[in-house]
Order: sequence, then structure tokens, then C-alpha cells
Amino acid sequence: MSNAIELVEVSKSFRSQKAVNNLSLSVPSGSIYGFIGPNGSGKTTTLRMILRIYQPDSGKVIVLGQPQGQVADDRVGYLPEERGLYKRMKVFDLIEYYANLKGVRQAKPMIQSWLDRMGASEWANRKVDALSKGMAQKVQFIAAVIHRPQLLILDEPFSGLDPVNMEVLRDAVMEMRRQGTTIVFSTHDMDKAEQMCDYVFMIYRGNKVLDGTLDHIQSSYPADRIRMRFSSPDTQLPQHPLILNPEHHGRIYEFGVQSPDQAHQVLRELSSTQCIDYFELVRPSLHDIFVKIAGPEARQAILAETKETAA
Amino acid sequence: MNKILTIANREFWAIVGTKAFLVSLAVMPLMMFGGFIAIQLLQDRGGIEEKKLAIIDHSGQFFETIEKSAATHNQSLEQLAPKTSDDDAEEKQLAPPPNKKGPPTTSKGTKFLIEKIDASTASDQTRLDLSERIRKQDLHGFLEIPANVTETNAAELFSEDAGFSIVGSWLSSVINERAKSIRFAQLGLNPETVAQATQQISLKSLGLVQVKSDGSIQAAEEKNQITSMLLPLVFMMMMFMVIFMSAQPMLESVLEEKAQRIAEVLLGSVSPSQLMAGKLIGSVAGSLTIVTVYFAGAYIFAQQKGYTDMVPLSMIPWFILFQVLGVMFYSSIFMAVGASVSQLKEAQSMLLPAWILLMCPMFVWFALVQEPNGSFAVGFSMFPPATPTTMVLRMATGVTIPLWQPIVGVVILVLATSACVVIAGRIFRVGILWQGKTPKLTELLRWAISG
Repeated sequence: MSNAIELVEVSKSFRSQKAVNNLSLSVPSGSIYGFIGPNGSGKTTTLRMILRIYQPDSGKVIVLGQPQGQVADDRVGYLPEERGLYKRMKVFDLIEYYANLKGVRQAKPMIQSWLDRMGASEWANRKVDALSKGMAQKVQFIAAVIHRPQLLILDEPFSGLDPVNMEVLRDAVMEMRRQGTTIVFSTHDMDKAEQMCDYVFMIYRGNKVLDGTLDHIQSSYPADRIRMRFSSPDTQLPQHPLILNPEHHGRIYEFGVQSPDQAHQVLRELSSTQCIDYFELVRPSLHDIFVKIAGPEARQAILAETKETAA
Repeated sequence: MNKILTIANREFWAIVGTKAFLVSLAVMPLMMFGGFIAIQLLQDRGGIEEKKLAIIDHSGQFFETIEKSAATHNQSLEQLAPKTSDDDAEEKQLAPPPNKKGPPTTSKGTKFLIEKIDASTASDQTRLDLSERIRKQDLHGFLEIPANVTETNAAELFSEDAGFSIVGSWLSSVINERAKSIRFAQLGLNPETVAQATQQISLKSLGLVQVKSDGSIQAAEEKNQITSMLLPLVFMMMMFMVIFMSAQPMLESVLEEKAQRIAEVLLGSVSPSQLMAGKLIGSVAGSLTIVTVYFAGAYIFAQQKGYTDMVPLSMIPWFILFQVLGVMFYSSIFMAVGASVSQLKEAQSMLLPAWILLMCPMFVWFALVQEPNGSFAVGFSMFPPATPTTMVLRMATGVTIPLWQPIVGVVILVLATSACVVIAGRIFRVGILWQGKTPKLTELLRWAISG
């Protein structure tokens, strides 16, 4: 499988601050690649280098086989984190303008088809400033894919969307992938990344800290989390020196241990005094790994994301 | 190139396709030439205003003359005054020209009603009563002529606007003419002989004699105040309006693209240079539309007023050339500023020097028109920010400007505009994605140098 994107020892600094440090990355064609990392870690800078908005200080950025360029290839589509729409333009005209900028001349039938598909046809002749946030995101998405890109870059595509619109957008992204489009998206939503991505890449303070399939990443972290349930609802999890950070979700207890051996020891000791009807040694989720690496910064990012979604 | 034209097309319609554009198209000339237009309209209305004047003539030698002059004046006024808008032109043509000899007529629309006050009973109480009538608007003013006026050479006019009154100048003229006649008679001179002897020679202002295309000599054309003073001003103001109306939307457009993060999407499709080039082309196209509308409007106006001969058609290509360069020069500055800031308020303070540069020819236009080939005018028109407005101002005076000067002006402006576009492009490239606080001047300079 060829690579849609190849970053070779890429670095980029702004003044004295190194935004991306010696980054190498290969994004296979036709895959969905998730970019995760706390705010300010270098995600957007990396995406902008892929889009040729920024030129790297050193290293090579090869996109769809093109080793260099001053402007993004017309085969690349981009959905920015924040809506980039002219408020006073009509929806249809705006999408047509963006399509024309990507070299599409007869865009009207495609625009209509996408508007129908995204449930936005009735907004075609309305001005952008009349759109809700969700509808604006759909319009922005149509603008990003109207030229049938081979590579689609989505920066926080699900941010601020309600569950219904999130599902519509997720389906559209998956459909693009089925048609062979390579998709790179950055997100703070770890569940979405786990559900959708073939590969996950995490950048932290400009450095790559994770890269690979979810299985590969998870297998590199020991299963150090236990999920268990006592037979009796009245049984409480006892204090134990090997039990770390216990959490209580209904009748399920979840806690960490230092190693799988300790997990077995805890199981033996608890089962000797209590009746246990469910015990699972779980691998860390992407969320756990993210938090483990990024620590407080990541917690802050996730908190902000949660607040935004709730709003 | 297609992408640049796509951007240019959007920018063009963003400039001309709004209601605000149509409004400003109408409002800008009103703001610039509102005063002239108002005077013209008021004069054209031709409403006759009556002013009642009381005369206390202690000499007994002036009242009749004043009364007769007023009657003549009022009669000529009635003949000139329009009756209806349809027959206005016809009436004007049929009416005899105002009498150039004798007392001059005052401004169009002032009719004088003369009232005689018995001089033998005139006292301070009489003056007070007349003053009261003036305060109650029953009277405009009163003139008191002493018995020995031809010796003292002083008469008194009482009115609320005595210092600025057009009535005063009319009365002064009438009584002075009459005083001369009295003195001539006292000296035994024939007034008509004296008038003939002291008749003034009128100086006719002409342009230059030219050779026609068929080789024959074309007589010089008469010049008037409109061509030599007003026309250059009109051209300069038009240049200012076109630059203003084309460059300002560029600032707003870049600010919007930056604030709404549209720039990031655009830069995912085009390079900053392409984006800026597209915007500049759109801006120039918008300016050409504005100028076409104004030129068409001006030509129709000139045609209706019979001023078409005064329109110097030969300078239109120069105007368009300087306009294109001027719009590019200022639009690139406005774009760079728009890319550097995040709010219109910040942009306005940063643009103040550019505004001053653009407006400075307006502060000195009178000096430029008086001596269009003077060293100040020549030097000033070679200063790139002032070149577009100053050069068209000089050319519109009708004075022959050596051909090398507009050519050098164009060359200087092309160089300055190119430098400006390159520097602005560097600032634009960095600034358009710059978020957070406004960069300092040193930061801007760093962007301008290294991009």
C-alpha cells in the first residue's frame, strides 16, 4: 500500500518555540488516521504543513506523491477546526466558490447532491450567517469534499455537533473512506478516534509519542486496569495496598494495579473473602493512554471538549 | 491563473454587488461636492426673495436713482426667473442679458422694494422705529444719506447683516454711480464722455493656438474659471473617491477572512500570493466600474449643461492608468494592515498615515492649480502616495505638462506599487494566520523583510 502522506524528519519552529520536532510519519492511502494531542501540541502545525500553508524548516513533506509545493494540491480537501465561511454569502454560492478554487468548473449538480445528502437543501439560498453551528459545519464539510479529494484533512470535525449531526457527518466520512479517500482527522474525542481510526498518531510538545494501529498502541501498554463486580450488591470494595485509583460505576468497580501479576494477586485475595461474578483485566483505552502521556494538559483539553459538546 | 480570477471575481462582486456600494456610489460625490451641488440646485430653483429697504435721503438727490435702479433690477430679475421647469431653458434664452452697465444686479433671486422715509422729520426715534421693524422682519434695512454726502463721502446702512450684506454692495454701487454723476455735473463734465473715457478693457483668457489634424490652425479656445479651477478639483476628488471606495473593501475583506478563519480554508487551495493577486485584480476591476459610472454620469451632466467641450477626453487614459496603479498601491497597504490586525479599530489607527498621504494633495490643491508646472507641483506629483491624485489634478488644469513628467510619474508609481505589493504580500502571508495581539512595528518590519 502506498502512502498518501509521508513526513520525513520534519521540524517547524515559530521564533524560538519548536512547534514540531523531527517528526516522521507515514499515512497509508485509503486509511483513516487520527491525530490526537493536547492543545498546542503541534497538531494544527503538522496539518498546515501537509496543506502547504506552512513550509517546514527542515525535513520533507510528501503529499500524494508530491514532495514539495507552495500550495495545497487540488486533490486535498480541508475542513478547518473553526468555521471558515463568508457570512454574507449564500450557501450554494459559497460552496461553488470553494469548488472553483479547487479547480471544479461544473460544480452545481454535485453541490445539490451533497446538500440533499446532508439535509441542507433548504438552506441553499440562505446566507451563511443564518445557519446554526451544526448546519455551518455541514456546509463546511461539503465545501471540503465537493471536489472529491483523494486526501481529506479534518481538523476537529465533530466539535460542537449534536449527536444526530455527528452521526450524519461520521457516516459521510466513512462513505468517503469506502470510496478510497484517505482521511486524516484531529480530535480530542478519544471514543471517536477509537471507533473510526485505523491508525492513531499522538503528538505531544511537538514530538511524536504514539503512532500505529489502535491494537498495536494498546498492546504496548500493559493491561493494568481491573473491572469487577461482586455478586452481592451490598459488598464494598475493601481497602488494599495494591488497588490504585478505585472508581465506582453502579455495581461495577474499576481500579488500577501496577502489573498483571498484581491483578492476579488482588483477584485471589478478594475472591477468598467475597463472591465475585465478573472480573476483567482490561487494556488501557486510548483515553487512558492519552491522559497518561499528556497528564494535566490532556485532562484540560478533554474537559474543554466536554464542556463544548455539552453546550 | 484561473484561481486568481476566481478570487478576483468574488472580490469584484463583494465590492460592487452590495447595497452599501450603491449607496456609497451616490453618497460619496454628495460628500465631496455637496456644497457645489447645493448652490447649483438653489440657484436653479430661482426663487425670488423680497427685501424691503427704507431710504432717508437728506440730500434729496439719491432716492429717485435708487428707486429706478431697483425697478430695473427687479424687472430683469422677473424676466430671468424660471416660471416652470419645462419652459425654463426657453425663457432664459429669450430673456435679455442683464444690464452690464450701471448698477450691477445682485445674486439671482433678490428683489428690492424701496420705501421713502421723510428726511425732514427723521430723528433718533425714527431710526429706532425702523430698527424695530427690521427686528420684526418687516424691513431688511435702511439707508441714511447725509445732505452733504458728496463732500463727506459717507452714508450709513442699518441692517442686521450689514457686514456681509449683498444689499450693501448693491446700494453702494448705486449711490456711488449717482455721486459720480453729481460730481461730474458740479465740475461741468459730461457724464457720458467721462464714462467713455474711463471705460475698462476686458481681458479675455484664452488657451493656446493648436494645429488641427488636417494641418490647419485651430483658434485658441476661451478659458474660464470652471476649466481652470473646478475641473482639476473634480478629477482629483474622483481619483480619491475611487481609491477610497476600492481600497477600503479590501481592508474589510481581509479582516473578515482573518477573523472568521476563512483565510485558512482559502490557503488550503491557493497560495497567499495568489490570494493577494486575486484580491488586487478584483479591487482594480471594482475601481474601473466606479470610474465608468462616474465618468458616464459626469459626461451626461456635462452634456446637459453644455460643458462637454471642457471635458479633457485626452487625459482619460492617463486617469485610468494612474487610477489602476493608485488602487493597487493603496489596496496592498490596506490588505497588509488588514492581515496584521484583528479588529477594524486597530486597522484605522494603523492606516492613519496612509490616509494622510492619500489626502495631502487635497490640502494643497489650490497651490497646485495656481502653478501646475511649478517646482512644488512637479516634485509633489513624483511622490508616489500623492502621484495619482496630484498628476491628474495637474493634467486637468489644461496647462501643458511635459510628457516626461507623467511618464516618470507612472514609472515611479509602478516601482513603488511593486515594492508595496511585495512587502504587503510578505506581511499578508504571515499576518493572515496570525492570531492574538496586534504585532508591534518591529514585528511588522521583520515580516516585511523576511516574510
